[in-house]
Amino acid sequence: MADLGVMALLLGLALSIYAAVGAIVGEKTAMAELVVSARRALYMTTLAAAVASGALINAFVQNDFSIKYVVDHSNTFMDRAFVWVAFYAGNEGSLLYILLALALISAISIWFAPKRLARSMPWTIAILAIIQLFYFGVLSFVASPFELLDTIPLEGRGINPLLTHPGMFSHPPLLMGGLIGITIPFAFVSGALIAGNYGDDWIDVARVSAIITWGVLGTGMLLGAWWAYTILGWGGYWAWDPIENVALMPWLVLTAFVHSIMVQKRRGMFRMWNVALLNIAFVLAQLGMFINRGGPVVSVHSFAASSLGVIFLSFMLASLLFAFALFLWRMPQLKSDRAMESFMSREASFLINNFLFLAVMGVTLWGVLYPLFSDLARDISVSVSAPYFDRTNGPVLLGIVVMMGIGPLLPWRKTSARSMKQWFMWPTLVGLLTIIVLVALGVQRPIAIFAFGVVAFVAASISEEWWRGTTARHRSGDNWVMAWWRLVNGNRPRHGGYIVHISILMLALGIIGTNFYQQRTDGALALGESIILDNYRIEYVDEGESIRDDRIAKWAEMSVYEINPDDYSQEIAFAATQGSSGFTLKDSRLRENDNLIDQIEPWHGFYPDFNMASVRSGIRSTIVEDLYVIPRDFLADGRVSIAVSINPLAWWLWVSGPFFIIGTMVALWPQHAVERRPVRKRKLDDPEGEN
Amino acid sequence: MPIALGTLLALVSIAVIAYPFLGSKRYRLVSERFVTREKLRAERLRIYRKITDVEADFTSGDLTEADYQYQRDQLRTLAAKILRQESGATTTNSKRDEELEKEISRLREQTVQSPEGGDTL
Repeated sequence: MADLGVMALLLGLALSIYAAVGAIVGEKTAMAELVVSARRALYMTTLAAAVASGALINAFVQNDFSIKYVVDHSNTFMDRAFVWVAFYAGNEGSLLYILLALALISAISIWFAPKRLARSMPWTIAILAIIQLFYFGVLSFVASPFELLDTIPLEGRGINPLLTHPGMFSHPPLLMGGLIGITIPFAFVSGALIAGNYGDDWIDVARVSAIITWGVLGTGMLLGAWWAYTILGWGGYWAWDPIENVALMPWLVLTAFVHSIMVQKRRGMFRMWNVALLNIAFVLAQLGMFINRGGPVVSVHSFAASSLGVIFLSFMLASLLFAFALFLWRMPQLKSDRAMESFMSREASFLINNFLFLAVMGVTLWGVLYPLFSDLARDISVSVSAPYFDRTNGPVLLGIVVMMGIGPLLPWRKTSARSMKQWFMWPTLVGLLTIIVLVALGVQRPIAIFAFGVVAFVAASISEEWWRGTTARHRSGDNWVMAWWRLVNGNRPRHGGYIVHISILMLALGIIGTNFYQQRTDGALALGESIILDNYRIEYVDEGESIRDDRIAKWAEMSVYEINPDDYSQEIAFAATQGSSGFTLKDSRLRENDNLIDQIEPWHGFYPDFNMASVRSGIRSTIVEDLYVIPRDFLADGRVSIAVSINPLAWWLWVSGPFFIIGTMVALWPQHAVERRPVRKRKLDDPEGEN
Repeated sequence: MPIALGTLLALVSIAVIAYPFLGSKRYRLVSERFVTREKLRAERLRIYRKITDVEADFTSGDLTEADYQYQRDQLRTLAAKILRQESGATTTNSKRDEELEKEISRLREQTVQSPEGGDTL
């Protein structure tokens, strides 16, 4: 199968070269056959990438240990379900996956491209083919997943234990697919600019492809956070790790883009700005590839041993040069013929939100690059950790949430002071009332209280928008449900956006809760002993053990009780004098009000071949808070060392995901055609006959 | 077997990309007229969409009556202008068709009157 994989990659390389050259020469010499042939070559690269991927997956299924990549990332004990994960578990396989995703989405986007872009399609095809050519080249000559071993081992090394998690089936593919997906809007816009198509013809294709990419990338990041929360065993979900950051940065820029493209669509403004945003997003995606592949920064996610850094750095610099040379060349023609009429308008609020997104991106970029610069310039290794990002990005992110509440309330073009007062009164009152209630309830932390007020303000502004629209339709005869449905259906991009905003509010609740109100304690428990934290008593009831060929797994069976703190007042008072919010209880006697509410099984596995431990935290999740138990180690004396935390509102982090996906799909769902025309015969409408 | 499959893949690819040169079907690059027509149509649909959005904004109370009237009138004017441009393109087509018909009639007459005879159109 290795031979088939190698042949498919070489064929893909040749097809990419042909597609790139054929499209350009065909366009320049007006040879329609050559352009059509080049487009077909681009379609065929998908088949080549699929065959290469199929060959590698088949090698995993067959345990073909003559292939080094298969040996490095699987063994015969591996659950067969993880073959898909093993496919992209290493550098070479993940590059092949990226190539497959790129080839597939390139083919789909070219196939469905609108006919009005026909003149720029050869250039779009050429750009996509050149990017594919890069990946086919790297996979054929530098990082082949089909490298053969001189001596065939009887057993493979196995899959990285950290990857044996359900989230790994979708998190890496979505993240990698999202990063490479930015290529599509970039190629369409660049193709249009090269062809001299300066108008708004590329808006729809750029918007749709950018929103799909943005949704995929966002979902991938959220799944990654869930994976980190449940398996990495540090109790968090986002560490501002360099690899997390390089996925976040293009996502932030795309978020700015999906907002500002609405201004171009509705008001014919921001054309130049939108092109610049796509260029930045594309270059940042290439930066992500470089940092991930080159290993210049250490991360739990990166392929640090990779020697591909120079190649990816060169490609990133070439992308940067191309994108901005093209931008500068066409800049004079991209200027909008309209100016902003007032800063009290929706377009102005979008512009401010764009600046805020770019500010977070800039701060994050500096945090990612500073260690590299320090290393190069001063030969001093430094690392930029979470507090820097939290302190600098935190206030700006809060500003973005504020703008989520302000923007939708402002009309296009301009507004009056009277209208402002009318629209902002209720959301502001709700926000203030939330703050007052929280203070009255004795909730601590002023910044968090203010942030909760902001969340309430935004939720109220969305509710007001829906209330106004729904009541207006209800007055015209629809029942309430139909009225709301018609409101959403009437402008899906806008109301899909509101659903996404609701998901962001849920995310914000989780972030505020877990960052400001988390409680932690740790200890080592013998059987029958308990640990107490806040209103929970966690008793170590029993242990389990399983020894398999690739791992030694142990787990603790624990009973979770809800307690009345009054029953433990003496112990709590003593712990408080020691400066701790939790304590270990050796007394196994249950108190009067102890109420068994759950059983959890925190799991700890050690993988000798990797000299690596992997954990599954024991989590009791409710809408209010998560009780989170990390099994650090099973000690020789029979005790289990655990860290316990209470993560308030963590549930909202994960429930935001479905809302994010639903909102994105609503925003993307095609609107009913405004004008219905009979379908013309292909010969008339499509002279090339292939579109 | 893998070599055979790889060779087959290569042959299929060559056949697919060579077909436009070898097949009986003739291809030509899209004309400027075709692209312009598509662009105008897309632009007109975008304006219709904007009119729907403006109406929705007005119904929801996001726009005042005056703003709504102003924006809707502007968009309608623009849509009418584009429709005229589209009709202009169609008129041009009709004129071309008429000229073509005239040319065919002229050739037919010539052929019929030709002393050498031959096939009639």
